[in-house]
Amino acid sequence: MIQNSKERAKRILLHAIFILLSAVFIFPFLWMFMGAFKDDVEVIKMPPTLLPSKFNFDNFRTISELFPVSRFLLNSIFVSFTSTFLQLLFCAMAAYVFAKIKFSGKEILFTLFLITMMVPKQLTMITLYRIFVNLNLQNTYLGLILPSTYNALGIFLMRQHIRTIPDSLSEVATVDGASHFKIFFKIILPLCKPALATVGILGFMESWNSFLWPLIITSSTELATLPLGLSKLQGRWTTAWNLLMAGNVISTVPILLVYLFAQKYFIKSLAQSGIKG
Amino acid sequence: MKEKILLSKRGKEFIVAKRILAMLLALLMVTALFAGCGSGTSEKAANDSGKAKGESKSDTPNAPVTIKFIQNSANGGREDVLKSMIDNFQTKYPNITVDYEIIAYSDYYTKLNTMLSAGSEAPDVFEVGYENFAQYASKGLLKDITDIVANDKDFKTENMKKLAYDAYNYNGKQMGICTDFTGCIMYYNKDLFDSKGLEYPNENWTWENELEAALKLTDESKGIWGTVSPLQVYEFYKTIAQNGGSIWGADGKTVTVNSKECVEALQWMLDKSYKYKVQPPFTSDIYTQPDADWRAFEEGRIAMLRNGTWQFGEFEKNAKCNWDIILEPGNTQKAHHFFSNGLVMYKGSKKDEAAWTFMKYMAIDPFVVNTRIEANWNIPVLNDDDVMKAYYEKTPPEHKKVATALLDSLVLPPLGPIPEKWAELQQVLGDELEKAKYGKVTAQEALDAAKEKIEKLFE
Repeated sequence: MIQNSKERAKRILLHAIFILLSAVFIFPFLWMFMGAFKDDVEVIKMPPTLLPSKFNFDNFRTISELFPVSRFLLNSIFVSFTSTFLQLLFCAMAAYVFAKIKFSGKEILFTLFLITMMVPKQLTMITLYRIFVNLNLQNTYLGLILPSTYNALGIFLMRQHIRTIPDSLSEVATVDGASHFKIFFKIILPLCKPALATVGILGFMESWNSFLWPLIITSSTELATLPLGLSKLQGRWTTAWNLLMAGNVISTVPILLVYLFAQKYFIKSLAQSGIKG
Repeated sequence: MKEKILLSKRGKEFIVAKRILAMLLALLMVTALFAGCGSGTSEKAANDSGKAKGESKSDTPNAPVTIKFIQNSANGGREDVLKSMIDNFQTKYPNITVDYEIIAYSDYYTKLNTMLSAGSEAPDVFEVGYENFAQYASKGLLKDITDIVANDKDFKTENMKKLAYDAYNYNGKQMGICTDFTGCIMYYNKDLFDSKGLEYPNENWTWENELEAALKLTDESKGIWGTVSPLQVYEFYKTIAQNGGSIWGADGKTVTVNSKECVEALQWMLDKSYKYKVQPPFTSDIYTQPDADWRAFEEGRIAMLRNGTWQFGEFEKNAKCNWDIILEPGNTQKAHHFFSNGLVMYKGSKKDEAAWTFMKYMAIDPFVVNTRIEANWNIPVLNDDDVMKAYYEKTPPEHKKVATALLDSLVLPPLGPIPEKWAELQQVLGDELEKAKYGKVTAQEALDAAKEKIEKLFE
């Protein structure tokens, strides 16, 4: 507390700015969250009220009567977790190959992978759809999951991380007779936890919020994911905003939990280091 | 065993490579196995329809057939009404199964276009609004049903409201059938008119009458507005028609959006807010917040409101004032616009008879019409006052007949010679209207600029 008043003033100002910014950023979420508990008149009142006049779960009840919300939730969870898991597996394996194994044409292949990042999804959507129809995968879980199992950005991020792992580690293992698979699973992967957490969060969020692909590939309500299910709440002329907000809350809470969980893990592994001495 | 130890590093990698290849192949085979799996009711029907498609066009009326149908107007509240209509159809025609899907309006055309691109997934029957109908027809994606309709002894075109039925005619060929519509009319608050001792609007009213009443009814101190009309492309092309103007000239190719009549009409739309102050400024909450205009009407703060027939149920439930409807006042003539839904058949469908039976059913079958009326779900296009009696008798509003009367002064969306560019046309026109709306340019300038931009669309 030996700071002079000038330092104190600077700190207070900085804190004030940050608090203001946080309030501005958090307000939409708060408004959405509170809106889930309001009735249809109060939810769009201007100026907006923060706390609902009557705190009730009516909206959630209405939604679950109208649609199989638990089914949508389960579908979303199943599809997101499966595709994230597969994505982590494949991205990490590909990244290991690009980072540690030497073969001719490696750089060209990697560049080609990166170039795919520049192609917008809308462009490939129709062709992808036709391929899946030919494979008879329309309206199946596999059809929902497969396109999310590859991610050029994930490969790139993981490769960057794996490159920082010293070659000495894998060389030691090779001398002992370990195959690439052993090196990958026993040595490299445990050291990649921060990168895995990052790619995992990104992949999970993308899969969870994914709307266009599930819209195209599924045609029955039993396979619908949450974003698709929520779209059923929107009529052409009118929208029940309070119901929609309730749906959004259902959709956001799991992702928030995943993020909080991964964040803890993320910070924990940052504190660890790979090689001692 | 011995061979393994003697293998060089390259040899070891070769074995690993073989193992990976084997695993990939296994994965591929498992994928193929799973290809059939997945719980989707429409998938099963898709397999069935796949078999049915393999047969040649079935002329035996009782051969079981499945038709694929997608639509959007039931989304967001009417799913069970549609289900009851389709269930009844399948009871009436037990050999036809309807495999249907409801998609939200905002995503409907994306999904439809994707399905059409994959051919085998294309629906046999799908719903289109009038504006999109012309686009799909011009791209050759729709089946010409003129002959099928002519050969159908149970169907007479006089049974349908002429203008609505003809809307789905493209280049002289009937390519679809209108099933229902919604339109915009003028709501008025009877209590406010009573409080000032004014006569209610009637069908002979012109813009002058509207202005006169609005001036007497507006009371800014109480937050009461005489009249509220939106300002956007659909309102615009209807209002210019009320003044005898139009976006396209008589030859159908010249752009006349900046004609004297059109500029006058736009000026009228602006003057109500800026000059006469009988309408809220366009920056006010009533215009900028979603649903604010009709909610204000419900609260009794608006005397005359232009809005859609889809509000009947809502106003009946929640309006705090006594209200009724009337045809919109025109200037030199009356004009109304509508939003129609029609069913069309995919060009590549091989189930013409079944598809037409379904399309016809959804337009004129008494069960469908009555269910629609009861559920207050859009307005049927039947030209039969006996059947429509049930609709007219369901009040409020008292003057329910106005809702179908608007079809007699219908102005269709001005697609002009470029129906495939309707979205772009709306965009450029909408941009200019926005500028005029906020006072950035005058009405004349806005429409002159719009004319230029629309003409550019031809290139």
